[in-house]
Amino acid sequence: MAKGRELKRRIRTVENTRKITRTMELVATSRMKRAQDRVTAARPYARALGDVIAGLYTPDLADRFPLLRQPAATHRAAVLLLTSNRGLCGGFNANLIREARGLIARLRGEGADVELHVVGRKGIGYFRYVGQPMKVQRTDITDRPRAEDAASLVDGLMADFTAGSLDAVYVVSARFRSAISTPPTTERVLPVDPPKRTGPLPDYLLYPSAEAILTELLPSYVRNAVYRALVETAAGEQGARRTAMKNATDNASEMMNTLTRTYNRARQAGITQEIAEIVGGAAALE
Amino acid sequence: MLTVSVISPERVLFEGTVDAVVAPAFDGEVGILPKHAPMMTLLGKGELRLGVEGSAGRFRIEGGFLQVLNDSVRVVTERAGE
Repeated sequence: MAKGRELKRRIRTVENTRKITRTMELVATSRMKRAQDRVTAARPYARALGDVIAGLYTPDLADRFPLLRQPAATHRAAVLLLTSNRGLCGGFNANLIREARGLIARLRGEGADVELHVVGRKGIGYFRYVGQPMKVQRTDITDRPRAEDAASLVDGLMADFTAGSLDAVYVVSARFRSAISTPPTTERVLPVDPPKRTGPLPDYLLYPSAEAILTELLPSYVRNAVYRALVETAAGEQGARRTAMKNATDNASEMMNTLTRTYNRARQAGITQEIAEIVGGAAALE
Repeated sequence: MLTVSVISPERVLFEGTVDAVVAPAFDGEVGILPKHAPMMTLLGKGELRLGVEGSAGRFRIEGGFLQVLNDSVRVVTERAGE
């Protein structure tokens, strides 16, 4: 029964692994729900801000706002890549890194210098491994991002853009469509693409002036775009982890079934053989 | 009555109807009562009071804007606390 003992050991190993993946699945599920609530809770602000900017924006204002400046050519661009700090979430980070690499290659192909800003251990680890210099490396953003995190990430970029040392800023992050769909996306946050106006603006009294309000709100709009990317990536990470851990748990169950079946068959074969030997032995005595 | 919502980047802090709103605008406090003309103003730093004498809620806010339209008031602020 040497084989039987070996099989039993393997069954126990797989069972222990399944316990771990099952727990991680449950943890990810509850974290994902909370992260999802944060995604939903951030929507009213984005909508309110978008409405007002769309209402106040007119194309002839574009020249007067540095954040709306449309450079003729992109000479220097920044890519802000958001990844997770932890692994075991399937292809989540790999997809984000691939998206970022594609974008960087495209920008370089168009003749732009690209500076890379990376959030999350996984992205940093990859780009350190391939020897690509990063201007900013951040691992201090938790899975509960705050609005200040977004501000600290993008304020420097806005200053550089305003000063003219950057011509475009892209954010590579995950969209949270559902637990099983968290595709990587690229969004250009600078120069700002003002949202489209849906209807005519009511006759507002504006204090101090449309221009002053836009000056104040455009940076908020950019910060909010980054904040949204942060919360969606955080939710996406949990969703991807849940899916990955669910698959792992299912695979472990299947493996256990196969191993148990093999074990039972081996046990049965052993018993049959013993009986045959006894019967054979008894027959030889007669 | 005024329908008021107070919105921060992270969540909606308040939603409901109140009699009056006093908000810290960029150049001093602004009071809003029902039937106010459509208005949009930048906000400064200070205390937002909902209801008479802040009876329906008080928030410390900083930055953002306030919008009044058809007796509905939207306070959209960058930073807010109770």
